[in-house]
Amino acid sequence: MRFSIGESAMTELLIRLMRRPQGFVGVALLALIVAACLFGPALAPYAPEKIDFLGRFRAPGWQNWLGADQFGRDVLSRLMVGARSTVPLAVIATFAGSAAGAIIGVGSAYLGGRTDEAIMRTNDAVMAIPGLLMALLLVSTLGNGSGNAVIAIAVAFAPGMARVTRSAALNVRNQDYVKAAIARGEGAPWIIFREMLPNVMAPIVIESTIRVSFAVMLFATLSFLGVGAQPPASEWGLMVADARQYMHQAPWGLIAPSAAIALTAIAFNLVGDGLRDALNPKDER
Amino acid sequence: MTSALSIQDYTLDYVTSAGPVRVLHDISLQIGPGEVLGLVGESGSGKSSLAWALMRHLPGNAREVAGSLRLGDIDLQRLSPRELTRIRGRRLGMVFQDPSTSLNPTLTIGRQITEALIQHRGLKQRDADALAIDLLGHVDLNNPAAIMRRYPHEISGGEKQRVVIATAFGCQPDVILFDEPTTALDVITGARFLELFARLRRETGVAALYISHDLALVTRVADWVAVLERGRLVEQAPAADIFRAPRHANTRALVDAVPRPERRLVHDKPRDQVLLAASEIEVQYGSGGLFRDAPPPATKKIGLEIRGGEILGLVGESGSGKSSMARALTGLARFSGKISFDEHEIRGMRDMNAAYRRDVQIIFQHPDSSLNPRHRIDEILSRPLKLYGGQLGDIPSLLDQVRLPQSYANRWPHQLSGGEKQRIAIARAFAARPKLVICDEITAPLDVSVQAQIVELLLALREETGTAFLFITHDLNLIRQIAHRIAVMRRGEIVDLLPAEDFDADHVHPYTRELMAASPVPVG
Amino acid sequence: MSLAWFVRRLMLMVYTVIVVSILVFAITQILPADAAQSLLGENATPEALSALRAKLGLGDPTWLQYARWAGHVFTGDFGISMRTSLPVGPEMLMALSRSLLLAVSAILVTLAVAVPLGVVAALRQGRLTDTGVSLIAYLGVSLPEFVTATLFALLLADTLHWLPATGYVSPLENFGDGIRHLVLPVLTVSVILVAHVMRMMRSETLDVLKSDYIRAARLKGLPERTVLFRHALRNALLPVVTIIALDVGYLLGGIIVIEEIFAIPGIGRALMVAITTRDLPSIQAGALIMAATYAVTNTFADMAYAFLDRRIRYD
Repeated sequence: MRFSIGESAMTELLIRLMRRPQGFVGVALLALIVAACLFGPALAPYAPEKIDFLGRFRAPGWQNWLGADQFGRDVLSRLMVGARSTVPLAVIATFAGSAAGAIIGVGSAYLGGRTDEAIMRTNDAVMAIPGLLMALLLVSTLGNGSGNAVIAIAVAFAPGMARVTRSAALNVRNQDYVKAAIARGEGAPWIIFREMLPNVMAPIVIESTIRVSFAVMLFATLSFLGVGAQPPASEWGLMVADARQYMHQAPWGLIAPSAAIALTAIAFNLVGDGLRDALNPKDER
Repeated sequence: MTSALSIQDYTLDYVTSAGPVRVLHDISLQIGPGEVLGLVGESGSGKSSLAWALMRHLPGNAREVAGSLRLGDIDLQRLSPRELTRIRGRRLGMVFQDPSTSLNPTLTIGRQITEALIQHRGLKQRDADALAIDLLGHVDLNNPAAIMRRYPHEISGGEKQRVVIATAFGCQPDVILFDEPTTALDVITGARFLELFARLRRETGVAALYISHDLALVTRVADWVAVLERGRLVEQAPAADIFRAPRHANTRALVDAVPRPERRLVHDKPRDQVLLAASEIEVQYGSGGLFRDAPPPATKKIGLEIRGGEILGLVGESGSGKSSMARALTGLARFSGKISFDEHEIRGMRDMNAAYRRDVQIIFQHPDSSLNPRHRIDEILSRPLKLYGGQLGDIPSLLDQVRLPQSYANRWPHQLSGGEKQRIAIARAFAARPKLVICDEITAPLDVSVQAQIVELLLALREETGTAFLFITHDLNLIRQIAHRIAVMRRGEIVDLLPAEDFDADHVHPYTRELMAASPVPVG
Repeated sequence: MSLAWFVRRLMLMVYTVIVVSILVFAITQILPADAAQSLLGENATPEALSALRAKLGLGDPTWLQYARWAGHVFTGDFGISMRTSLPVGPEMLMALSRSLLLAVSAILVTLAVAVPLGVVAALRQGRLTDTGVSLIAYLGVSLPEFVTATLFALLLADTLHWLPATGYVSPLENFGDGIRHLVLPVLTVSVILVAHVMRMMRSETLDVLKSDYIRAARLKGLPERTVLFRHALRNALLPVVTIIALDVGYLLGGIIVIEEIFAIPGIGRALMVAITTRDLPSIQAGALIMAATYAVTNTFADMAYAFLDRRIRYD
């Protein structure tokens, strides 16, 4: 219940999160991914761009633990280095999208009435454009590349987050402590930031965590389609796209980055669901 | 003669992560055929657990430690799941607290009543339909054939509870369990439900266990009353005796806590000068739009005056507009009309300046939602001090004022009980040194004993500060104890505005009389 | 269902399409593409270019260009493709029909698989079946379409040779072959949907089983079977209508990737081609048609829900 209150509460939350097997697995996977992002390049056995023509399509073994690709580049090393060009960007995109969505959502709920209705109807209308299509349209306008893909994903996520935040905020808006603050004559900043936002944070954090997994997938998809990260980056979606041509000779080149994407997505899904349980202790007698 | 229902030395635990917790200790109760036993207790006394045990619907962590439960000659604890479906509904019926959630929203009323008849009485659909129409007519529902085709959301709460009771009686069970059947209903609807129950009981001779938190109500429906406190039976007596001669100290406390109109708690007179005068107040939620009619206004241009130090009661059923009035006076709802306060004139939310907001404070009904769960008690109490001038050093004395330990300043709201939270809300209101405090149903969700303490606290604070109160409630007995004058609202209008002592007189509005008749006063 | 609610819901749909059209037009306006240049080719004379620009109204203020475009779209005229010089509208609608075949098949597969699995998982909450279903669900929502598509193709087409890897054959021309070509894409696009709907179905069922009216039905002495099928399932199934309708958004996004991978000439592929060749009228038409499909589906789903669940409040 007590999120964002202090260090002890954070520790307590982590303990609650780790108590269930899903939460434990999620946190463990996430730790692994964070480690890969931080130390990947230092720990990788080979340089990711190192071409070795003798080792083309080498099967997984002691030389290349996860095999080698069409240029003899070590798949494991490319994955470890590639973590940096996939996961942090997805997190940044989600964060930006969530922040924008949260501001729209809380603001709309606070304003209420017709303004709220107009904002949310328009927001829902924007959601009629599928996320991937929106991202593609934006990237085609802004130009290919990782940075623009981040912006595109953030924009594509904002309406969904606005909707989630708004329904949570509307619920909080109707609580008596907010009414008490209004009746007391508190100013709008205090009501929005001190009374409402701390109570809306939990759903925002949960939803954002789960959405990071979509962002990872969306980012990889954009790279796969050739409009996200550009070669020779070892972004995971791009690795899958490269390896497709050679899937007969070297299926590991395809399977390894696919598994990395899936595991990352699963990790964020598990942690998000775990947070939902940990922040909602309603089943305790 | 064997009892219709017999509970012998029954002991029940719930297993929690902190070990087993005993919820029922050595309970022994007998209900003879045709007898009604009232079981009274406050929240957490274990009265609902007993009902679930009898229905064999205990949660997974329940452990039956000792004792027996018998329905006639049937040992309820030994029934197999198959046998159980033949007992439930057929021999042992149940009427639930909230009729709006106990009916399936997507099945017609007809379907829900006939399925039990088909199951237990082996009727064909057509015969079941005919019988169901009879049953619905018998519980005084108009046009039962039409009701059969309706869905639960298409009928009112009182009608739903009639459907539930018709279903329960339809299979002619030996015993019916009633779990707070009128709590979710309005006062008058609840009173009609009780009349219906009394009639059906006379006609069918059914035995019943009637569970309630309301001692006064139970003495009117039951032959015997048993008082349950923290899982122990503290007293069993004929209903007529329990008010006159409560033997156990706990029962006596419970009896004393029941509000009785003739026992006035306020004896002074308000000052002459008018503190707040509201006139032509109209609150309108939601406006009409394209293809959409505006809802009727919540209050229809009504007015009232509150004098300095006065306690004005505002009584009405849910939806009567009494809370809308509170919202208008505190700037929580848009309104038209005029409020004069201390020679200051207000025609809308914008005119409510800091001085007005300080002088007029509001306390809400639900203590759980009126304190921000992410603020500590000291932060909650510091806001009015910061806004209206005051020292943070006053917080300990504010806690003293509402009889709470000073150490509570560091606590979070979820660490407090409902009554304690309500005290914090009161402290927050009085921190502003207001001239008028609006109490919006603040005692409704509390147990009677806690309710009595809160009322006592409010009166003590009034003694100290001379504050006036606008006390909004649906409990006519309570308000007649404390208010100088009482306004009765119905459908957005004030139908009566009388001094409290005039309520026994003849010139009250028929609706007020109906409301008084429906407010259970203790028997004896 | 009141008529006023019905009309309001339709107006909302129109509003959605208008907002989407403005957005699509605005985004594509920023695209650095010169319609006149692409229509006349590299060797066009400057005079011809400026004449055509004037004719197309490219110098007009943006709102006027939008109004002109929207007016044409309203009459069904989506313009001329810069790439093929053919009218965009008929081509896109033809592509849409192929995509709809894919989408509808995927929804049917999803319903057939996800609903029973979700219910069973809820009934066996905490047991092995439930854990298994949850694991599959986690995996399903964590695999992007391009990964599933590639892995399925690797396994079912390239290794086992059960199915053709790519291509499209109309089932109207050759039914058997058409279906065989449809299996892989439908399977792929269903994975995420199945996982998602399964999870929702599980939690809906659990919620319903905890409700007061289920308890009341049990305590009326109804047999467990009746409680489950008559009282619980019906209420748990209702929200699926809405869930599926909202998932159509994912589905349409997924179709872009899947049609690209399996070389299906549907609207997704047409859009990808339009985007890579900067064919403005085709991008606008494709995006608008896709969003309109979503808006229409959701409107119908809302109406179906309102019809099935009489409780719905019309506001």
